[in-house]
Amino acid sequence: MIYDPPKPVIKIRNLVKSFGPFTALSGISLDINPSEVVCIIGPSGSGKSTLLRCTAFLEEYTSGEVEIEGRLLGYRKTPAGMVRESERNIDTARRNVGMVFQHFNLWPHMTVLDNVTLGPRLTKGVPAAEVSEKGRIALAKVGLADFTDRYPSRLSGGQQQRVAIARALAMEPHVILFDEPTSALDPQLVGEVLDVMKQLANEGITMVVVTHEMGFAAQVANRVVFMDRGQVVEQGSPDKLFNEPESPRLQEFLDTWRQRNLLFRSEPQQLVAAC
Amino acid sequence: MTQVFELWIEYWPMLAAGLATTAWICALATMIGIAVGLLLACLDGARSTILRRTVRAYIEIMRGLPILILLFVLYYGGPGIGLRLNAETVGVLGLGFYGAAYFAEIFRSGFHSIPKGQIEAARMAGLSAGQIMRHVKLPQMLALITPPMVNQIIILIKESAVLSIITVAELTKNTAQFVNETYAVVGPYLAAALLYWLLVEAVALLGRTVERMVRY
Amino acid sequence: MATVSLIYDNLPMLLWGAGITVLVSGVAIVLGMPLGLVLCFGLTSSRAWVRHLSRLYQSVWRGTPILVQLLIIYYLLPFLGLNVPPVLAAIIALTLNTVAFQAEIFRGGLLAIARGQMEAARMVGIRKWTARRHVLVPQIFRLVIPSLVNETISILKNSSLVSVIAVTELMRVSQQIVATTYRPFEIYIAAAVIYIAVNFLLSLLGRAAEQRLARGV
Repeated sequence: MIYDPPKPVIKIRNLVKSFGPFTALSGISLDINPSEVVCIIGPSGSGKSTLLRCTAFLEEYTSGEVEIEGRLLGYRKTPAGMVRESERNIDTARRNVGMVFQHFNLWPHMTVLDNVTLGPRLTKGVPAAEVSEKGRIALAKVGLADFTDRYPSRLSGGQQQRVAIARALAMEPHVILFDEPTSALDPQLVGEVLDVMKQLANEGITMVVVTHEMGFAAQVANRVVFMDRGQVVEQGSPDKLFNEPESPRLQEFLDTWRQRNLLFRSEPQQLVAAC
Repeated sequence: MTQVFELWIEYWPMLAAGLATTAWICALATMIGIAVGLLLACLDGARSTILRRTVRAYIEIMRGLPILILLFVLYYGGPGIGLRLNAETVGVLGLGFYGAAYFAEIFRSGFHSIPKGQIEAARMAGLSAGQIMRHVKLPQMLALITPPMVNQIIILIKESAVLSIITVAELTKNTAQFVNETYAVVGPYLAAALLYWLLVEAVALLGRTVERMVRY
Repeated sequence: MATVSLIYDNLPMLLWGAGITVLVSGVAIVLGMPLGLVLCFGLTSSRAWVRHLSRLYQSVWRGTPILVQLLIIYYLLPFLGLNVPPVLAAIIALTLNTVAFQAEIFRGGLLAIARGQMEAARMVGIRKWTARRHVLVPQIFRLVIPSLVNETISILKNSSLVSVIAVTELMRVSQQIVATTYRPFEIYIAAAVIYIAVNFLLSLLGRAAEQRLARGV
């Protein structure tokens, strides 16, 4: 039998995104394979978040292609070129993509459980009792089983972000995109969110994480992608990227980062909480 | 003074009938205004530039136009272009489509108040545009837009007095009739003012109740 | 073609009417400013009876249709022995109405100004009304220009109602032209265009004034 390589969950080809005269992404190509945890790092303004938002088609890309499980997202190929898909088809194409945002984006007028179950309830045609049960399971997974009836405003930032993760999980996605999930949190709350993410990674959930948490990337990622000025500059295993960086830009980035976090070499475990 | 009250009592049925007409015309016009206003506000967020410009033009024109002119164009000018409507219909449609421009602006400010991230989260949860409107936008906006909406309904009630000029037998028109029949002048109009004021206060009270209900 | 000449022939009349419209509303707005400021200070007075009276005035004038107010004043003045021409009755009615709305606009501006400023002025010995005039009023105006422009547009639109008491402003002139030409659709549309143009001009002026003041800060 011939070895059949795994089909990527996300396939990005020559992705370009410009905002007027400014080019945010200049030709990115990237595959995300099943059960892979990919961390995207890089200086701010390097296009990491834009890449993630284009992958979810929250942002229309200028050219290139994004495929989710073999299906083109956002546009349709026609003899006349790429034509924008209808909203309905876009919704269908990204049905299996979940997303966790920097600012949680919970809906403040709904309880925690309603936040988690709204999507499945409205889009999956599953009986209400079953949806609620799945919502509770998702909340239990992020350690918030007792918080179902609270409103988001009564939770800490870390708890809110865990609810947001549960909300993404409840849709049973094949891949979850994390857009700087801990950047808006107080330092002492970062750990609880990263712990949940680690646990998901161990369960084999495919994840793409844009992050500034080098400790997390070093520990959990299968692959780290370094971006700068709208390009993928270098990628590889965390060990290789952090210990033997090839490109000067990555070396510079890591040096700057190390100077700011002198703890880096001695106690990588504590980094998670430190930054 | 007692004379004034006697006249008020004698002409009460006429005033009451006028008040009732004012009330149902305003109720219908409000419904049209809110429905059309919501539609305009949604179209204002559409991706088509032409659609957005048309909506903006409609809103700007209505906001620059005295309601009286709109009613005259519809009522006296309408037959010239084959539009024959009775005065009540002109009143309801005129007030409704006029108010729609103002309701649209209220809805628009409501939409703007909802952080973009919440809409993105809803799209990532697979919700359609209609579902996002129903479950994410409207419930949150309601608390914010209720006070200006109530205010706009009150303005609409006051503007409805203008319908007397195109012969709709509403409160102001019936009061004028009252004046013609009795030659009393100030008394009847004071009665009308009082009734308008009561109607407006009733709506304001209702508004405050709704406001308490929609808070989450 | 007939439409063009119809409008063209009657344009001088319509513009004359528009002039009266602008005049009547302009006078009402300008008279309304000092009175509105006084009512605004009444609304925020430390004396309870002044506050209550101010609020009562405001509630009455904001809670009833301007058409009814106009008719009451038009009929009430002769009843009180004051035989004034309709145009004056119109100006009085529009002024008394706009005062109630302007007071609310000014109050909004006043609330946005730090309390300490008034206290500071009083502490260096400036009298209350002098301090209000020189310290608060200039700042209030700066803050409320957009709302004031909206109120002007609103009064300009409402001034069409004074046609019912035979003031020959734009609305009334249009009716007179319709009575002789029997062309209501064209004439009323023409009047509508003039109203919209004047209001558009007003909002442009307002924006320009706003920018100049913003630069001056």
